[in-house]
Amino acid sequence: MNPIDWIIMLGTLFGIVAYGVWKTRKVNNVQSYLLGDRDLPWWTIGLSIMATQASAITFLSTPGQAYESGMGFAQFYFGLPLAMVILAIFFLPIYYRLKVYTAYEYLESRFDLKTRTLTAVLFLVQRGLAAGLTIYAPAIILSTILGWNLQLTILFIGAIVIFYTVLGGTKAVSVTQKQQMIVILGGMFIAAIIILLRLPEDVTFGNALNIAGKMGKLEVVDFDFDLSQRYNIWSGMIGGVFLFLSYFGTDQSQVQRYLSGKSLTESRLGLLFNGIFKVPMQFSVLLIGILVFVFFLFTKPPVHFNQGNINSLAGTPSEIAYQDLSQQYDRVFDSKKAAVQTLMSAFDTNDEGTIETAKTNLNNLQTQENLIRTEVKNLIIKENPAAKTKDTDYVFITFVMNYLPVGLIGLLLAVIFSAAMSSTASELNALATTTVIDLYKRSMVTDKDDKHYLVASKWVTIMWGGIALIFASTAGLFDNLIQAVNIIGSIFYGAILGIFLLAFFFQQKDTKSRTLGAFTGAVLGAILVGYYLGELTMNAAILGGMIGGLLGLILIHLSFKGVSANAVFWGAITGEMAVLYIFYLNRSGTINISYLWLNLIGCVLVILFALTIQTFMNRLKRQAAPATPQ
Amino acid sequence: MPKSTKSRPVKEDPPPIFKSWNQLYVFVLVLHLIIISLFYMLTKAYS
Repeated sequence: MNPIDWIIMLGTLFGIVAYGVWKTRKVNNVQSYLLGDRDLPWWTIGLSIMATQASAITFLSTPGQAYESGMGFAQFYFGLPLAMVILAIFFLPIYYRLKVYTAYEYLESRFDLKTRTLTAVLFLVQRGLAAGLTIYAPAIILSTILGWNLQLTILFIGAIVIFYTVLGGTKAVSVTQKQQMIVILGGMFIAAIIILLRLPEDVTFGNALNIAGKMGKLEVVDFDFDLSQRYNIWSGMIGGVFLFLSYFGTDQSQVQRYLSGKSLTESRLGLLFNGIFKVPMQFSVLLIGILVFVFFLFTKPPVHFNQGNINSLAGTPSEIAYQDLSQQYDRVFDSKKAAVQTLMSAFDTNDEGTIETAKTNLNNLQTQENLIRTEVKNLIIKENPAAKTKDTDYVFITFVMNYLPVGLIGLLLAVIFSAAMSSTASELNALATTTVIDLYKRSMVTDKDDKHYLVASKWVTIMWGGIALIFASTAGLFDNLIQAVNIIGSIFYGAILGIFLLAFFFQQKDTKSRTLGAFTGAVLGAILVGYYLGELTMNAAILGGMIGGLLGLILIHLSFKGVSANAVFWGAITGEMAVLYIFYLNRSGTINISYLWLNLIGCVLVILFALTIQTFMNRLKRQAAPATPQ
Repeated sequence: MPKSTKSRPVKEDPPPIFKSWNQLYVFVLVLHLIIISLFYMLTKAYS
């Protein structure tokens, strides 16, 4: 890497860290360390929320995902704005009224200590695992591409994050995230401009979209209802709402961001800021992937983007077969390039028949290219069965390293490192806060002074940083990193959300609980009916909604007048067990459900189990009570 | 017995620009619907 890139990358990263440390030099009490003095304006909160969610994986994997599968991944975020509105209306005022440090604190006031502890532990398990992945994911890719030592790369990211998070706590996280997001958004915008400038002169932005569209890459919205399909509008709008309600409403790494707001108004605006800008931002990152795809139609991309895998074929019996495939790949690429030119000429004539012929020819050549790429992957597996051959995470970084000018490479690497650091810092900060507030201070060491808990918070941050580093150093590469993080989340998030929904809405036999019961039932009914009909038609959706809504109403009316702590606790345990079993069945191939639905299933199961247990408890209580004299 | 958590009155200020929070929520959701519609039109236009 050029020295100028090194200077820009390190200068950007250390400049942000130094600024964060300087701004938080006066943090000297627990309130300030864990809640950042509650003085942040809405736009800092909004950027901080976005920076927490957008990890380095987002900027490495997402363009690669668009390159491989098109724009459909945008649908994953379709439920987010609705979730932000629900949080702003229902969740935020309660957190503010109770002056909580963590989301789980509220559960004790509503239920009991064991429910609070259980939920906090569920969070610590899933977020503790994710924190390791957040460091590992970019480290493995950057170390492969840049030829850096993997363990040193992990240590580099981890050590800087631990340093400023331990020193400045929540405020350091938010202050640095603001700068990091500015670098990230600016860097990605410049990258998009450079890709456009790098396209051949006769390829305009409109042409690029036309070509990508004809190759099936611009299918953003898919209305087919298929539970096994990862991304469609239904999984995004229904499963996504539950995922984002869980993530933003109950995951401390996000709750801590908006609890540090100056007022309820500032926190609400911060959430809504995210609701407005998140979907367009993800769309833009995917669009960059599409532009990279079009760029590589005119400039020959490597036959396999993970150069480390290709290097491993040198000197093996498969090397000759690889060279043969490489030559075939070169020929197919030349033909494909010519086919793209033909398609562009057809666009100029605007003749549908010619466009269709050119499109078919181009897609056939793309299929041939994909077959060659698959054969190369087979060779890699043959020589090294443990190798991970999914190379989409390497697409964008390959473009950055080979086709961006000196200086911008350093900036884009700073983008990726910034993203890794911003999300990891939030995670470590939240893990420490939950450990200290919900476990240590509440149940273990309850009677010390403020200074003791401040020091404890710093040590616990170091501890979680160490755990994340150990996990990152030992983790194997998942098939697709961004999905691995989301799958881990989906297994736990649904159950946590179920507990919170029981707390918020199932207090009394009131209008809110009836509405939620009807809504939950409607969603469940719609999915079941849609599933059994094999395809969700409008009639099926209406029928499912009606049946589900009715079931929900009956359930609420029949079963309870409020739900107790014990019912919630055991409902959560059995619900989470059921989700893990469903996940196991899915992994073993017995059933086939996209992981996004696990959020909804987990949430609904916890609510249903808790209500069922409550019904039995009520019945037992009635039976045990002495008969009232007439 | 659950530990009682102290609660504080929360000041509900109106949002900037809009007259009420409900108006702002509707704005966010309508904007989202418009964005999805644009995505749908993009899908159709380039398929």
